[in-house]
Amino acid sequence: MSPVAHGVIALLPEACTSCMICVRECPTWCITVESHAEQVGEPGARRPRTVSILDRFAIDFGLCMYCGICIDVCPFDALEWAPAIDNSAANRNDLVHDTERLAGWRMHD
Amino acid sequence: MSAESRTVAREAWEETLGDLKAQGFAYLDLLTAIDRGDQIEVVAHVVEPVSAGQIRVSTRVPAVDPRLATATQLFPAAAWHEREAAEMFGLVFDGHPDPRPLLRRASPGRPPLRTATVLAARVAVPWPGAADPESAGKGARRRQLPPGVPVDWLDETST
Ligand code: SF4
Ligand code: SF4
Repeated sequence: MSPVAHGVIALLPEACTSCMICVRECPTWCITVESHAEQVGEPGARRPRTVSILDRFAIDFGLCMYCGICIDVCPFDALEWAPAIDNSAANRNDLVHDTERLAGWRMHD
Repeated sequence: MSAESRTVAREAWEETLGDLKAQGFAYLDLLTAIDRGDQIEVVAHVVEPVSAGQIRVSTRVPAVDPRLATATQLFPAAAWHEREAAEMFGLVFDGHPDPRPLLRRASPGRPPLRTATVLAARVAVPWPGAADPESAGKGARRRQLPPGVPVDWLDETST
């Protein structure tokens, strides 16, 4: 394990079901998930299924304490540690990483 | 590296740390506290610099009488640790040369790291977990509350 293995948290947006579990377990309340529900009809199904579509996922690294609880609790392995250490910012708002930036931290799929 | 642990009575705290210092454990790595309900546990971590051997010493003081002898005469570095532990857990370190709060202004509220202290600042911040994507557009089936928050706590301030 590299000494900076826990540098930043990466997101795989395709795996995230917007279930909100990480948002609710995060001790610092620094995760934001925005989503909407869509009806998906499937051949052979009597009624359409409601699925949540992820609109925005953001982690505020100005509040995050890198405890890793969100990574542990995600039932879909949508979050993981990434070794980046260049996630500092010149102003407070840039410490909020949204979907694309979090997805960009991934080392592999 | 795992450290040897010793638990001592409150009365033996200073003497134990003094003996360890005499044995070469001259570096105070950490001094902090843990809320154990009706007792507050104080933990010090001392290091022997040559072998890097570590010993963890802990003691417990009653939450209603959380006094402990200061370790600052033995380890000057204990001063900041004790000031922080004092303001966060309501501890009193007898003989501390400068017992001002370290991180916060003196405030009449409950010590923030006592588990009985409700984090009132959270009332002002909307809980991001309140949204319920499953019932979006259908009206929430039940209100979601942050874990560990008393059930009626947010009601006093919301709406
Ligand atoms: S690492 Fe901890 S503090 Fe950071 S987003 Fe995850 S749960 Fe929240
Ligand atoms: S726990 Fe996982 S699947 Fe659920 S919202 Fe968080 S990242 Fe997405």
